[in-house]
Amino acid sequence: MSAISELSSLSRKKGKATAEEKKANGRDNKAAYIFLLPWLVGLVAITIGPMLMSLYLSFTDYNLLQPPEWTGADNFIRMLSDARLHNSLRVTFTYVFIGVPLQLAVALLIALVLDKGLRGLPFYRSVFYLPSLLGGSVAVAILWKQIFGTTGLVNQVLAMFGIQGPGWISDPGTALGSIILLHVWTFGAPMIIFLAGLRQIPTMYYEAAKVDGATTIQQFWRITMPMLSPIIFFNLVLQIIGSFQSFTQAFIVSGGNGGPSDSTMFFTLYLYQKGFGQFDMGYASAMAWVLLLIIGVFTAINFIASKYWVFYDD
Amino acid sequence: MPLFPRPATGSQSAGSSPSGPTRRFRKAGVVAAAAAAVMALSACGGGSSPQSADGTVELRFSWWGGDKRAQLTQEAIKQFEAENPKIKIKPEFGDWSGYWDKLATQVAANDAPDIIQMDEKYITEYSTRGALLDLSKYDIDTSKLDEAALNAGKGEDGLTGIPAGINAATILANPKVFEAAGVPLPDDSTWTWEDFGRIAAEVTEKSPKGTYGAAAYGTDEASLGVWLRQNGKSLYTSDGKLGFEPGDIAEWWAFLKDLSKNKAVPTASEVVEAEAAPLDQSGLATGKNGMAFWWSNQAPALEKASGADLKILRFPTKTGKAEDAGLWYKASQFWSASSRTKHPEETAKFINFLTNNVKAGETLLADRGVYPNSDVRAAIEPKLTPADVKVVKFIDQIKDELGEAPAPPPKGAGAIQEIIKRYTSEVLFERLSTDEAGKKAVDEMKSAISS
Repeated sequence: MSAISELSSLSRKKGKATAEEKKANGRDNKAAYIFLLPWLVGLVAITIGPMLMSLYLSFTDYNLLQPPEWTGADNFIRMLSDARLHNSLRVTFTYVFIGVPLQLAVALLIALVLDKGLRGLPFYRSVFYLPSLLGGSVAVAILWKQIFGTTGLVNQVLAMFGIQGPGWISDPGTALGSIILLHVWTFGAPMIIFLAGLRQIPTMYYEAAKVDGATTIQQFWRITMPMLSPIIFFNLVLQIIGSFQSFTQAFIVSGGNGGPSDSTMFFTLYLYQKGFGQFDMGYASAMAWVLLLIIGVFTAINFIASKYWVFYDD
Repeated sequence: MPLFPRPATGSQSAGSSPSGPTRRFRKAGVVAAAAAAVMALSACGGGSSPQSADGTVELRFSWWGGDKRAQLTQEAIKQFEAENPKIKIKPEFGDWSGYWDKLATQVAANDAPDIIQMDEKYITEYSTRGALLDLSKYDIDTSKLDEAALNAGKGEDGLTGIPAGINAATILANPKVFEAAGVPLPDDSTWTWEDFGRIAAEVTEKSPKGTYGAAAYGTDEASLGVWLRQNGKSLYTSDGKLGFEPGDIAEWWAFLKDLSKNKAVPTASEVVEAEAAPLDQSGLATGKNGMAFWWSNQAPALEKASGADLKILRFPTKTGKAEDAGLWYKASQFWSASSRTKHPEETAKFINFLTNNVKAGETLLADRGVYPNSDVRAAIEPKLTPADVKVVKFIDQIKDELGEAPAPPPKGAGAIQEIIKRYTSEVLFERLSTDEAGKKAVDEMKSAISS
């Protein structure tokens, strides 16, 4: 932000440039464009091109094997009566609205503990960050499957106490919960950001509060939370966007079918099945645009709501 | 902001300003951009199998299956390459579960393998959409092939699949589990579904915790197909419609629920977990199931994985008469070729090798089912392993009991298995009654094969 505004004020100050300066400027620009080229080509060929293509496909019937046929808004109309799609939305919303707040709460809690100036903080920080690096990976999802299986680690431990646990990931009642738990476990990234945010809060506030006799809990709610709110907001936006798109964990844990009984059928997973499993790429493309719309709406709501609870110091 | 610097028009460049080095610089930039874009695009659209300078042709060959199949098939490829030094075969293989997603993507990207191992569930899907080559136009000898199996690969779009083997739906029994439980193996020439349930429940009762008399059916359409045929119905009709009513499949689930209640089969959770397991880790292979539903060609691989002397059984019947079992010879898999292959001749040559060459037969044995080529079948008999011999014997044994050949699965049939699986778990977890599940499943199946 500030760098850009400085630059623009600089260029305003310059006012009328001489021909000589203009030429030099043009040369700089060309160099910049050439340095930008690799990125631009990537943007056009790998992001914008496919996006436009999928926008077009969302209005067609495209079975992957034959050229697409224009069907207008047919795909979108079909979504209205697709019970499995509605179920996948329910599953995804449950995941986002339970998983994200839980994950952020855990991240904040651990960050608060680590902020107390533990010895060997870098070590703990790394250890707690580790799940975030691994959590989205296929290997960990497979491990999760083992741990929460009918004869997995969790049930073995429960058996020691005489409890017969369910098949956590193979029972429709608990499968989604197990995946949400996997998501919560990957709290490392927001935790690191919280930790950085906590370090930014000037200690003088706490000292003043202590002099006035504020308890630790009062300090947390009156000082830490408001001061940290921009960071919480940042994490919230990022995590919500990411969670709506989450795919790998459900895909691996359910063996790709969103089962049992569609209880872990995320929107993205259903999209994948429609597109690649059932030769319905037009419908899948339309679903992708609906997801984009949903994420857009929630991000907008987030930004509007932020005016009422996010506190900026400056 | 313009994405690219605006190119200089003719009049401007003829006249004045931009100094030499800058202009060249700009041009170079545009050229580089164009080159990069072309390279990026061509990478996406890349066709398969280039021909190198010395005339060597490279073909890609993809199949699904376990470790044993991978070994045998790669062995056969080596033999083909030794006979045809100008053709290189590049294998691509994986598990069934990921195979079809990958194939669909490859075909869509115009990057299909030249030789494709195809299943009856998908062959209509691919052939009616022009993705498969009509092999009758190429030099492949089909004169020695079993006629029924050969017909299964024929359709409106020609001969798009050559049968790789003959198969039958079976129940495989692990005698070790029966012995440990002290229960005698069933007599498969007289047993009924009631016997099946009773025996399986008895095995479960007398076995250690976690071992069950039988695996649950309901995870694919083979066992449903047998059940329907025994009840005078079929999975599909010859005009490509569904051959049964909600009530028929509801009855099938009701019997499964009984099995589950009597603990003849594993719990609902265990059934779901077993679905995801590959062949080598299935309940039968790990000794956790006394009996399980498999195709006959899978017996040798399962025998290897389980280390037991498996017994191949006919399906139980309603009447107790083996001729009412309603079994049929299925083309286990097909050899198909991509319609966009750049080397159809060489591709056909390889398929011909797999189908008619005795050496290929001696390597592949019965892994993809009993050889449909009668000559090869006779020639390789001495080489068969004891497990293969069992399969061949079983296939011969049921020859006179077979029902009529079932109608080929229509377009969209690839989605049926997933629907069956999903509603089986709805029923086992008691989230839906068998009647509700039957109605919903049939609705979904109808829309899957009509679209």
